Amino acid sequence: MKNIINKAIAVLAISTVLVGCSNNDDEAITGTGKLVVEFDNAFGANDLILDTQANTTSQGEVLKISQIKYIISNIVLTKADGTTLTYPKNDSYFIVDEATDDSHEIELENIPAGDYTKIKFGIGVDKAQWELGATGQGDFLTQAQDAGMLWSWSAGYKFVAFEGTFTSSSVTTDTSFMVHTGQTGTDYNYTEVTLTLPSNALVRTTITPEIHVIADVSKIIDGTNKIKLSDNNMGGMGAMIMGGTQLPLITANLNGMFSVAHVHND
Amino acid sequence: MKKYFFIILACSFQLAFSNPIKDSIYAEKLHNLLLLSEYEYEDCDACGCSASSGGLGFGSMLNSNFVGVRYLNQSYTSKDGIFDNSPWVDENFNTVQIWSKIPITERIQIFTLIPFQHHSRELTTGKEEIQGLGDITLMGMYTLYQTHKDSITLTHKLQMGGGVKMPTGKFNEANNLGTVNQSFQVGTGSWDYLLVADYVIQKNNLGLNLLLDYTIKTENSKNYQYGNQLNYGGLLFYLLEANTVKIMPHLGLVGEKYDANKQHGQELPNTAGDVLFSKFGLEIGKDKFSLGMSAMLPVTQNLAGSNIEANYRLMFNLNYSL
Repeated sequence: MKNIINKAIAVLAISTVLVGCSNNDDEAITGTGKLVVEFDNAFGANDLILDTQANTTSQGEVLKISQIKYIISNIVLTKADGTTLTYPKNDSYFIVDEATDDSHEIELENIPAGDYTKIKFGIGVDKAQWELGATGQGDFLTQAQDAGMLWSWSAGYKFVAFEGTFTSSSVTTDTSFMVHTGQTGTDYNYTEVTLTLPSNALVRTTITPEIHVIADVSKIIDGTNKIKLSDNNMGGMGAMIMGGTQLPLITANLNGMFSVAHVHND
Repeated sequence: MKKYFFIILACSFQLAFSNPIKDSIYAEKLHNLLLLSEYEYEDCDACGCSASSGGLGFGSMLNSNFVGVRYLNQSYTSKDGIFDNSPWVDENFNTVQIWSKIPITERIQIFTLIPFQHHSRELTTGKEEIQGLGDITLMGMYTLYQTHKDSITLTHKLQMGGGVKMPTGKFNEANNLGTVNQSFQVGTGSWDYLLVADYVIQKNNLGLNLLLDYTIKTENSKNYQYGNQLNYGGLLFYLLEANTVKIMPHLGLVGEKYDANKQHGQELPNTAGDVLFSKFGLEIGKDKFSLGMSAMLPVTQNLAGSNIEANYRLMFNLNYSL
């Protein structure tokens, strides 16, 4: 009697385990879906809070940031099999503005279903696009104008606009700063970054993955190249960095500004 | 009759330990409890809110066969975000369990656990609450070895068992969005398999209980899979007897270790972890009844990449010996 019960329990246990382990996700990957890229601005390890938050750089300068805007462009996605997908160029220009919540998420449509491993994007507008002339810019020209991300047509776009006030050991009262990148007479200053995703973005007809990108804005002046605002405070009128030899250094810093925190596959 | 007694007991526990709430909400909760039905709420599992968590134990020292109710309160603080300055959120998990260990033969017992969950957390956007039937656990326990009590003062008992935790509690995918505690659920939504070993060695009035259990968790219908969980523990206990009353204090350490959760087969960052608790309390028995209470305080912990902190757990149970 005892033996029969033991055997019955054993059979029951084994069969439930077998049922539990059977796999059912051999769905064919077809169709298209969407992909969201979220740009979450940070200063170092902290979430960026405009105006009120005092942020200290490695150079001992304390920054209060009033505005951070940048142009994201030319998105290219890499699939697990190594093939790439270039998002249609005409639709691939976006302005991320910390002060506008809607601009933090870029929604990409008609993405072929698949497992994506990398994302590449540009910061700014590439030279080829600018060379198309004002008429070749489509709606983006107006968008950039409205957002204050265009100097003038001939001077070109602002790629990054980073503004606020700062203090340091030598500058003791709140003093304004503006860092605007874009082309200069000698350098075009457009740059691209490639980020490897910590887990694959699984684009499906039923799944819209969200790539959560952290943009650490401290890196703009406090990355590989250290730029002290105090050294650029001309006659105490504020630190205005909008051209010259500093811009290529800042552009190089932008490569280290972006990282992917995680990917949601919901 | 006995059945109704326990349902009423369960309800009174729920009432006694829940915050004062509006009559209509209470009526709805009572309704849920009586119908034992699956509502649009959830259970939580990894990182400590498992209804069958080994740190909590699978029974009573005083009586090995019983039916009863157990109330469990767990307090956590979780980070709501990925930044150093992200807000910390208080989470409060309340569970009322109807549990039993029923003998089938001399060596075989059936263990059942029916949890009802009521969890809340204080998000910056307001208080969020979930409640309802959790995941029911059903296990067979087999006594591999037991010293016969006749003569000797040193006794051993070794039990091993296995079973299933069924997805009777609802898993809500939306609660796992964002980066707050991925265990804010009333159910895992998955069929999980448990393996348990329970060893008791006792000399005269002093004893030691060693517990080891492992839960194999499977992917739920939302393609979410909680990480496998190892629970272990050692508790020293001492039996005091005065007339017909037995009092048994206990003291020890219990630990839990979690593998990373997965979604669509991909490991999710910051979901693995481990925690070690001190556990202390006592059980009081008279006639067929025993009343137990214990508390658990974390000794060391690293839950979800240090984004979740366990604060404490409190347990009360009332058992009726069979």
